[in-house]
Amino acid sequence: MFLESRRNFLKGTAATVATAVAAKGVFSVIAETPAEAAATAGFTDTPKTLQFYPPLSEWDDFKELDGEDWKRGGISRKGVQTPENPDGIRVNDYVIVPTVCSNCEAGCGLTAWVDKNSLTVKKYMGNPLHSASRGRNCAKGYGTWSQMYDPDRIPFPLKRAPGSKRGEGKWVRVTWDEAMKDIGQKLSSMLKKGDEISKKMFIYHVGRPNENGFGNRIPHTLGVDGYDSHTNICSAGARQGSIQWANDDRNSPDWANAKLIFLQSSHAADAGHYFQQSAGLIADARKRGAKMVVIDPRLSNSAGMADLWIPAWPGTEAALYLYLANRILNEKGKNGEDLIDHEFVKNWINWKKLMKDKEYLKLMLDRKYISKMPSDESYESFIEMLRELYAPYNLDFVVRECRLEGQEYKLEKLFEMVVDAEDKIATYMWRAGTIGHRGGWMNTRSAFLVLALRGALRGDVGGTSWHHWHKASVNGKWFDAVESDGKKPPKVEVWNEYPWPPEYPLATYELSFLLPHLLMDEEWKEKWRKRGFKIPDKLAVWVPRMYNPVWINPDGFRWIECLKREDLMELTFNLSPTWSETNWYCDYVLPTGLAGERHDQQSEPSKPEKWVAFRQPALRVALEKMGWKPKDPTRATLEAHMKAGLGEIWEEVEFWANLIVKYVDPDGSLGIKKYWASKEDPSRPVTIPEFYQAAFSLLPNLKRAAEAAYPNSKYPCYEFMRDRGAFTEETNIYKPQEEEVEFDGEYYRVHGHRYHKSEVIKDDEGVLWVESKGHRKSIGVEIDGKVYQGFHTPDKRLDFFVDWLKEYQWAEYAIPIYPRNENERKEMIHLVTHVHHDYMRADNEFALNTIYRLPYMIHTRSVNSKHLMEISVNHNPVWIHTSDAKRLGLKRGDKIKVRIVDTVSGLESGYFIAMAVPTEATRPGVLACSHHAGRWKLKNAVEIPGFEHKLGVMGVGAPLYEMSMDGKVAKMRAKEGIKEGVLKREESWQFKNINKDLDNIWWDGLTGAWQNAVAPVHPDPIAGNHAWHQKVIIEKAGAEDRLGDVYVNYENNFKTYQAWRDKLTRPLNEKIKYRRPMHMPRPAVPLSEKAYLNPMYKSDHEEA
Amino acid sequence: MDITGQRAGLYALISRIFLSEMDPDTLSAIEGMESFNTFFPDYSRWDIRNITDRKTLVERYLNVDYTDIAIMHLIPYESFYTTEEAMIETGGANPVVSVYNEYGYRVDLDRARVVSPDHIGVELEFMKILCEAQQKAEKAEDEKAAVDIKEIERGFLKDHLLRFAPMYLINVAEQARTPFYKDAAKVALEFLLEDYEYLSGR
Repeated sequence: MFLESRRNFLKGTAATVATAVAAKGVFSVIAETPAEAAATAGFTDTPKTLQFYPPLSEWDDFKELDGEDWKRGGISRKGVQTPENPDGIRVNDYVIVPTVCSNCEAGCGLTAWVDKNSLTVKKYMGNPLHSASRGRNCAKGYGTWSQMYDPDRIPFPLKRAPGSKRGEGKWVRVTWDEAMKDIGQKLSSMLKKGDEISKKMFIYHVGRPNENGFGNRIPHTLGVDGYDSHTNICSAGARQGSIQWANDDRNSPDWANAKLIFLQSSHAADAGHYFQQSAGLIADARKRGAKMVVIDPRLSNSAGMADLWIPAWPGTEAALYLYLANRILNEKGKNGEDLIDHEFVKNWINWKKLMKDKEYLKLMLDRKYISKMPSDESYESFIEMLRELYAPYNLDFVVRECRLEGQEYKLEKLFEMVVDAEDKIATYMWRAGTIGHRGGWMNTRSAFLVLALRGALRGDVGGTSWHHWHKASVNGKWFDAVESDGKKPPKVEVWNEYPWPPEYPLATYELSFLLPHLLMDEEWKEKWRKRGFKIPDKLAVWVPRMYNPVWINPDGFRWIECLKREDLMELTFNLSPTWSETNWYCDYVLPTGLAGERHDQQSEPSKPEKWVAFRQPALRVALEKMGWKPKDPTRATLEAHMKAGLGEIWEEVEFWANLIVKYVDPDGSLGIKKYWASKEDPSRPVTIPEFYQAAFSLLPNLKRAAEAAYPNSKYPCYEFMRDRGAFTEETNIYKPQEEEVEFDGEYYRVHGHRYHKSEVIKDDEGVLWVESKGHRKSIGVEIDGKVYQGFHTPDKRLDFFVDWLKEYQWAEYAIPIYPRNENERKEMIHLVTHVHHDYMRADNEFALNTIYRLPYMIHTRSVNSKHLMEISVNHNPVWIHTSDAKRLGLKRGDKIKVRIVDTVSGLESGYFIAMAVPTEATRPGVLACSHHAGRWKLKNAVEIPGFEHKLGVMGVGAPLYEMSMDGKVAKMRAKEGIKEGVLKREESWQFKNINKDLDNIWWDGLTGAWQNAVAPVHPDPIAGNHAWHQKVIIEKAGAEDRLGDVYVNYENNFKTYQAWRDKLTRPLNEKIKYRRPMHMPRPAVPLSEKAYLNPMYKSDHEEA
Repeated sequence: MDITGQRAGLYALISRIFLSEMDPDTLSAIEGMESFNTFFPDYSRWDIRNITDRKTLVERYLNVDYTDIAIMHLIPYESFYTTEEAMIETGGANPVVSVYNEYGYRVDLDRARVVSPDHIGVELEFMKILCEAQQKAEKAEDEKAAVDIKEIERGFLKDHLLRFAPMYLINVAEQARTPFYKDAAKVALEFLLEDYEYLSGR
């Protein structure tokens, strides 16, 4: 058509075109060629090849054209900036310092690109030498930069203003030495008492540690039982199941080689534990054809991409897994073969112990788990018994229990996937179902039964193994560098009831979320004191470390109430890089470093190998490489941060060493100094090179490589890791339990110990035992004539039958089991989620799923990252299924009142006001609202007497709230959005160049209600973890209600805590000798046998 | 008749139209051309044009359409059409950079507000520069130089503009929402084809 309508431009009438329209004139004549200058500077317009990262040899001196400046026109037009060509494109002159991300637990490698001229980090990238993160990071890794140069960074140590009360928000500036002097005196006078009570008056309360073993040593070297982890609000439900099966803290999958990626919740693939590393490995597996199933009431990103999404009713997953076990046991494969991996089950599951325990078999019979006693003790009879035991978990049952009506076809597909994957099933049982619910730990128990029956727990290629084989922890092993000359502190002689109350002997981790409740519960203290327990009235020192329990723990107002009580917590200080709700109520806020500002060793079980990574203060390392020397080498990190203008930001290794050597035990009379004073010069604290030389040299392959690379160095292991940031000590660790124990005909050699054959006794299950310090200890297991290292359990096998649960009064749950009908659900309430559908009676009653992670947010730490807030900001709505919304007349955007009701105490906790979003991405009957959002502050900024600037408080991440609380009821309401708060501040005085875009903050609203404040504590009676999910009643909010409003009856919440504790637990009694089975020691601080002894215990001899 | 001068004028016109948004002054100049009705038959009769002042016309209609056909949805860059991966080559490997360099020209990308020098508007302006050079040679009666430059023009059309401009312009003619850009695309396409025939001596 174009040709047909051709007009003759050049010869016809059209040729009379006016030349009225000028071209734009975009060409200029080339006068000189900056490209030539560029070439001489070593830069080309377009590189010939692309490098993933610069080679290691160039990290100390790497020049790169500035990407931002390039936008002015690139070097073909502007040339490279030189004194002769000042208009050229700027060249950054970098020292690239490796470090480790500290935002989540994964420990991905980072590199900090430090500009030598400005002494600032210009960007954070990945570390290509880190074999698990492989040079990649998620948004949170790159977010480190905006956290580092946060306009509201706390620039120096702050102390609550003398004369003010906790929470008034009045602060003064102090030096680190002033703070250490005050803290040192308090600790010193506490420790000088030396009695049992004083050893229970210090608690070091650690948020996500992101290091391996240092934190434990704080109370350990002080000789006190004072460590509280955050684990029981995090993942302890899952860990309980792993500990029962394998006496190992968690499992460790080989994602990359699996045929089936078996996920309960979105963790691993899109948001949770080890997410960035796992997601990459899962993607590799799927590319090779692996299938993925996601069991989750919510259609997460992972579920959306999975081959199969099974939205089981939350907390009922155990029923689903036992259904799979039933089919594996009772059905045959395509060729008529058994689906059970008999070789694995027969050799590696502790069935013999169960078959010999007639008393227990009788209990199973009495409880109608089975209909008859097994005919003999053979393996065949064991399998026969299992077939009957799990037969009731059939399709009808699972559909009713998991509320999967209409989705039967999915269950069929799931079973096919499990069968097709053979022993290559990789899973990571973590959070969600396991921490959301009462009895959540049984999810893990029953899921691992499926894997065990298929042989996937063998830990072979593509299967699932256990974490301690895939991790190398040396951060708590520096004693070769200090005056004690390799000697560790002795075990602590006391047991602190605050972290570990007598009601929870088997708790996976510390009951840290009950700390304020226990401290304020005089009745409880008195009850146990009468029974011989020595419980202090109060704590002398409470130290949260990068932790914000006020906001992230349930029942936040109870925390505030307790923190305000100076008679219960005498001195408190938070080692915290950011402002937080908890800091607001502390005596000191001591600013410690973020990912690129501190030393830690970290290793995590994200693949079947042992990698170690080294977190470092990038500015310090860069300065030292440029020739700078600190005045005091024991405080080099603090000095470097001050020199580079970051502020008086310190790190913990140097802080604790200085605090203890100079202020807690300066003359060594408390016997503590020697663990922190340098061996080279005992008059001063240990230095970082000394500390990490000692720690890293414990890894033989690393040591060998370091000594080869730095033959003339005094600290080769330190320097090796300083320059690389990561090392892989061992790869391809498969089936480690099948490693043979060395035996030379006379001696067995196990883990560095030697045992003569005459000392070794073999029992009739093939387990080899020796006597050690008055206790029996197993060292291996003999199978078909060979002695293997075995698993970590006392019987060296995987424990289908957990016999020690009998002693601790939970015999009925010693095998994977789940109630089969409503009556059993009442009897076996400890295994039934507190948000079970049995409890949902009315139309507007729901289970609220609270604990899915957001891929760009990380609880406390990321609140003031501009980058992360910008990509994540939303109103964190309440997801409600479209059918439920329709029934209740709710539309998108409607304000709803979410009332939280406890199903044990029957009490109502209060409510929060949130926005409803009807969606098909949650199942009917189940709401979803992540508890990872909803930060708040009570002041936009604080004034520091004598300091010219105001200190902003969480300016880019938290709206301003007003709060009232009277000891029983608390209320909160937002009064100003983020944008308003930021704009009101004249300007950012900190890191001005980096924060000149603060006027671009467009998110002005709330980031969701603070639902954790309303949530009462739900301590699981066995695992001790907080069961996060809630039963809620929803209704349309009233005209007077506003989004973000919170109303809490925390007096009711206190009663709910007591109800869960007193109605559900089975506390220690006179028949139980130890406060906890000795073979599963308390994590963190090592305690002596004396500490483990139950003060109530009466032996038969004494009774007689 | 100064055909070369007319050709330079035509290249200037279509270069300007496709290189950046319209403005009321340029539009006024276009509408004032003697051959306006011939070049823009549909646009000249467009009822909206007749009831809207130029400023509003430019802001509400023409620039919205331009954004669509030159920035958002259609890609006016040679390398997008000629590379296997359909990516705009913004670096030194761009196919026209070496041609411009050879004749001592550099594109001021900031002024052009384009991401790479193979934008259709830039290449059309380069043709205008070549035509002006030819015109100078003709005035100087340097026949050999004029023939050489014509050969360069023909080569540049063949190796660059005609390898992608027809595809792009046909798309514009189809997708534009205003008769202005539909007409302009047809004019540009027809002129390019005719000029190539002219330069090839047919």
